[in-house]
Amino acid sequence: MIVSSRAPTFISKDSLALICFGVICVYLVLALLSSFGVIGVDYATTRLQLSYSAPSASHWFGTDFLGRDVFARVLHGTQVAVLVGFFAASISTTLGLMLGALAGYFGGWVDDLVTWLYATLESIPYILLISAFAFSLGQGLSNLYLALGLTGWVKMCRLTRGEFLKHKNLDYVVAAEAVGASHWTRIFKHITPNVLHIAYIQYSLTFIHAIKVEVILSYLGLGVEPGTPSWGVMINDAKSELSRGVWWNLAAATLFMFVLVLAVNIFTDRMGKALDPKSRASNFEV
Amino acid sequence: MKTVIFQAISLMFILLACTPKASKKTNTITAYLEANVPHLDPIHSTSKYSSVINANIFEGLYHYHYLKRPITVQPKLADGLPQILNNGKTYIVKIKRNVHFHDDPAFPNNRGRELTAYDFIYSWKRLADPKLKALGWWVLDGLIEGLNDWRDKVRSGQANYETPVAGLTALDKYTLQIKLSRQSFQFLHYLSMPPTMVVAKEVVQKYGKEIINHPIGTGPYVLKKWQRNSEIILSKNPKYHKVLYPTIGEDQDKSKGLLKYAGQRLPLMNEVRVRIITEKQPLWLAFLKGDLDFGTIPKDNFEQVFQNNQLTKEFADKGLRIHSQKSPDVTIIAFNMEHPILGKNKSLRKALAAAIDKKTILEKFYNSRGIVAEGPIPPTIYGYDPEYKNPIQHDKTLAKQYLADAGYEGGKDLPVFNYEMANNSTWARQYGEVLKDQWAQLGVKIKLNVNTWPQFDKKIKTKKATIFDMAWMADYPDSQNFLQLFYSKNISPGPNNFNYINRKYDQIYEQAVVLPPGAERQALFKKLIDIINEDVPGVFIIHRLYRYPFHSWLENYKPYPIIYDYYQYLSVDEDKKAAHR
Repeated sequence: MIVSSRAPTFISKDSLALICFGVICVYLVLALLSSFGVIGVDYATTRLQLSYSAPSASHWFGTDFLGRDVFARVLHGTQVAVLVGFFAASISTTLGLMLGALAGYFGGWVDDLVTWLYATLESIPYILLISAFAFSLGQGLSNLYLALGLTGWVKMCRLTRGEFLKHKNLDYVVAAEAVGASHWTRIFKHITPNVLHIAYIQYSLTFIHAIKVEVILSYLGLGVEPGTPSWGVMINDAKSELSRGVWWNLAAATLFMFVLVLAVNIFTDRMGKALDPKSRASNFEV
Repeated sequence: MKTVIFQAISLMFILLACTPKASKKTNTITAYLEANVPHLDPIHSTSKYSSVINANIFEGLYHYHYLKRPITVQPKLADGLPQILNNGKTYIVKIKRNVHFHDDPAFPNNRGRELTAYDFIYSWKRLADPKLKALGWWVLDGLIEGLNDWRDKVRSGQANYETPVAGLTALDKYTLQIKLSRQSFQFLHYLSMPPTMVVAKEVVQKYGKEIINHPIGTGPYVLKKWQRNSEIILSKNPKYHKVLYPTIGEDQDKSKGLLKYAGQRLPLMNEVRVRIITEKQPLWLAFLKGDLDFGTIPKDNFEQVFQNNQLTKEFADKGLRIHSQKSPDVTIIAFNMEHPILGKNKSLRKALAAAIDKKTILEKFYNSRGIVAEGPIPPTIYGYDPEYKNPIQHDKTLAKQYLADAGYEGGKDLPVFNYEMANNSTWARQYGEVLKDQWAQLGVKIKLNVNTWPQFDKKIKTKKATIFDMAWMADYPDSQNFLQLFYSKNISPGPNNFNYINRKYDQIYEQAVVLPPGAERQALFKKLIDIINEDVPGVFIIHRLYRYPFHSWLENYKPYPIIYDYYQYLSVDEDKKAAHR
């Protein structure tokens, strides 16, 4: 039985992991509802006469400079964050998994090429690299997914390569070869399922990393298009608002980001333990 | 013995520590720029940032009086006002004697040579030289007899700097004769602008392409240090010719202490340290800390500083001062008239104009610093009419009606228009978002595109921008400078960024510009403004009012947007500054 398939059983017995999973689900639901226009509908409506209204019953998190409801904007920011996390993590995990598998399995010049590629990317400071990508691709959500996905695959690739190097000579793979399994069958049918637990963990880590980087890029003005609500844009706006006592824009964006990042972080950590046979033995009753 | 020596040394340190510290006089002005200066060559000086530095290193024949308002032209390197002959087409200008260029290795024995009339002929040929692609060429384009021909011949290799230009003659070493191809009542203003400032041939020849990094002029300051994107330090020109602080100004200038240094030789201070700070908040904090002698107030801090038309007690107690000045400018939402839909449909443009709530924009984005623009001519400029009203005022119902008249009721069948932003600042983004929302209420959709300044400029100059935000600051105090923005011969890459072409407008404009200031000229300018407001190639939004904050220790601070050579007039009360720090 593949180790990762047993993880849900272990997670279901971990209350902290369950709470975090619940929080993540809430964020996903909020993102879905805001994207279908069920909640936070008037996030773009400007009411300049209500500029910088403090939190109240009608505006829970106050209003921004243009009189827009901060709560509605922070909800839509959730949608941006979840989308960015999902697509960026999907692109980088897939890319890293594929390249790492090819490099680890085939070795030789394929390994040299992939190793050279990720070593080169890794040698460039990340913020510079991502800024260069974001600047070349231009603003916009889809470009942001690409920029984050194309720069975030290195760690996944290195880990997968290591696992494939180890697994390709194990008995079950040699046996598969002996019964005539092709290279691709061995890679995708036999080895990949046994290294997928790394992909799960790495996916979660990349997910929160992408959210954080989106905030940084939007803060630097390289992220989402103007008019799209994003936590990074809200924090960027807040830098000049704080001096006049307008704290709610910053507080709302930071709070929403903090809770999501914390929940995903803890959940990933518990998942890692659940998927690791050694720590599983000590932390869970099997 | 060792103990005695130790005690003596200790006593010496104690005495030194107890000695009152003499306040160190820095004799320095600490200024700022909000943008980087890419090069220091007067022929490329078209932005206010490079103009400020250039105008304190280089000089032209004329400049603006520091204190008089409305601003007036007065001699700088010219020895008096010109003699004007031949029905206003010939100018005879005497050049001041004993004016020397800054000392530099380009000159024999490193000693700056004396300025002559030949230097102006060389400098203006340089401005016209097609190989140099001078950004300031428009100032003399088509104005001086034979200069455009010389430019064409240089382009085709038939002329060089030795080839004479009919309109530029040095009658002797100190007398310059300029023949114009047409009358120009703005000519002295042109001679006050940075692009016509004088450079030395030897310096250009020594440094070649590197001349943009070696500014050598005749001005009050020499470049001491230039750390790109960070700091520029100017030090006093020890051989600066005799220029005195003005002895007259506006009525209230004396009571404000602006005539304290009347008649004294300039520059008043030894050094100017110009810090380049592009972000508004760090600039504001540096100013409050006393690291800058004058600054600017970010919109989010304005109400803390200024309420009920005066400084708040908190900031008044801190010793802050404010100089208020109506700016000779207009902000515009511009439409590209070559756009196949927007440019061809006047009712659509009228709908967009009527949908913009200028009063709210003025209140929220400018902290009510300014007035709503009714046309292109701002206050303080000759020709401004405070009674004039734009026929299209903010009215949502009327805007919807215009849109229906345009054939796009409720925005149906209209494409999404691109709105170009000149930068990625919070201010620019929020401004775009307000327009987006105000037009969305009408049914018109726009997409906000962020650009860097070069991208933005390129889109405009290549006619790729559909709708964009721009501001036009007077180059000289005359309505013509604003009305030329709509003259068809000036379409992009010229200053007519709207690409507006109207034969009737052109005819009236050509009649008006050759008339002397007066009622007849004014009546023609009024007709031009009516035509623009009817055709709506752009929406005039605001004429800004600047509130310049400065510390009480800074003396003689009376900024005006197009007076660039002002560092030389400033002085610092060192004791007051030291007390603050």
